[in-house]
Amino acid sequence: MELEALQGIYSEVKALGAQIVVLTAELERYTRALHKKLNLTFDILTDLYLKTAEQFRLVYVLPDYLRELYRSFGNALDRFHDEPEFRLPIPARYVIDKHGIIRAADVSADYTIRPEPSDTLNALRALKTNARQVA
Amino acid sequence: MGNLQSRLDEFKREFESGAPPYNATHEVIETMHRATAELEASGLANKALKIGDRAPRFSLFNQDHVEVNSADLLRQGPLVVSFFRGHW
Repeated sequence: MELEALQGIYSEVKALGAQIVVLTAELERYTRALHKKLNLTFDILTDLYLKTAEQFRLVYVLPDYLRELYRSFGNALDRFHDEPEFRLPIPARYVIDKHGIIRAADVSADYTIRPEPSDTLNALRALKTNARQVA
Repeated sequence: MGNLQSRLDEFKREFESGAPPYNATHEVIETMHRATAELEASGLANKALKIGDRAPRFSLFNQDHVEVNSADLLRQGPLVVSFFRGHW
């Protein structure tokens, strides 16, 4: 759902001079299929072993009882992610300015809560307004 | 289309109702609630990088096996980086 919602704002994001990338630990054969299925026009990048997510300090290890539950659903992190340690990132969306500084950060420990795409657009608009004022 | 969170909330309601197609049991729902509560209590979300921090650089392969470098993207303008836990 979140990827479709991001696709929904992507033309406005581009009109604001910005871009979107989605990072996931999923292997390329899965990102390729997902990208095609959802007709996405931004990139999904494979953050192998969550190395970049770790640098953003978003990674946690699933407790044993949750591993068992996901296994019973037929999910397999080791298959999709080549991730034997059962780690995942918490959901997060960042807006980074062209100098590499984080200007908006939405991070949630509850995976059923996601930032609204409209908030991301507002952050990009504010960035553009500020840039104009400085210039 | 409605906003994203309302659609997520609707999905959560359907899942937690125990009805098909998910047929989630009470035990499954309780386990997921426990995990979320523990993760919130861990304070991880507060340790994540925040506004004003310098974003780490990355160079990763996209779905077509083309290497994408964050520094190259940032030269063109601001960048939205969204972390996605997976499609499963």
